[in-house]
Amino acid sequence: MDDDSPPPPPASPPPPPSGPSGAPGSPTDFLKGVVGKKVVVRLTSGVDYRGILSCLDGYMNIALEQTEEHVNGRVTNRYGDAFIRGNNVLYISAAEPL
Amino acid sequence: MDGVSQGIQEPFDLVRLSLNERVFVKLRGDRQLTGVLHAYDGHMNLILSDVEETIMIVEPLDGASDVPSTVKVAKRNMEMLFVRGDGVILVSPPSRT
Amino acid sequence: MASQILPLELIDKCIGSRIWVVMKTEREFTGTLLGFDDFVNMVLEDVTEYEITPEGRKSTKLGQTLLNGNNICILVPGSSGPEDV
Repeated sequence: MDDDSPPPPPASPPPPPSGPSGAPGSPTDFLKGVVGKKVVVRLTSGVDYRGILSCLDGYMNIALEQTEEHVNGRVTNRYGDAFIRGNNVLYISAAEPL
Repeated sequence: MDGVSQGIQEPFDLVRLSLNERVFVKLRGDRQLTGVLHAYDGHMNLILSDVEETIMIVEPLDGASDVPSTVKVAKRNMEMLFVRGDGVILVSPPSRT
Repeated sequence: MASQILPLELIDKCIGSRIWVVMKTEREFTGTLLGFDDFVNMVLEDVTEYEITPEGRKSTKLGQTLLNGNNICILVPGSSGPEDV
């Protein structure tokens, strides 16, 4: 890391996980349970991303692994890793039993 | 802990680990970019260089045919550009396998 | 005299019951409400999603789902959804 060091990572304080954390059934509690699991992320556009949920933040920005992009039921792309900007997210649904 | 790849604690880590790498960016309006990621911020504003933009132009045939109608693909290249974060749908780093 | 129940208090009373969620767009969900937060992000279980596609109305079954509050328009407590009305 001498020459060519990358620019500093941006300061992006994600808001704390919303709500009083971890009440059973709450969004926070659900998210704790699905990290590392297979999920379907549907965007408001109707496009689905199926993959393993690596992590997410308070904006619903999402990191997925082994991701398949589905449009109208067809696989249209595959990504090893994918960052999805949270404002596009309609829902995150567990694709395996929790 | 989850069995995920090396030390991604929050989604932005994925982007941070892609600095100075070629990334794929999907944007609103059926656009996508590939380019070398030089900078980003918490809005997902991006600076990319050596960029190829691909634009899908769907020309719907009249009538409700469910088969994809004609899709034109336009490509162009830019040396260096800024992407406003609110247009970003997805960023995918080069697959590290 | 103002009514002394807050809107979200009503929704809180629906936890454990079926609820019908109508989005700002032509998209609807029903499910059992497990919880929600201040943004009205909702966790639902045994979910059915209803949408309009070029092929017509379509419904999809989903497991436990976190629904983004951003696009929610109307909540109908105790309803099993579009088929119920």
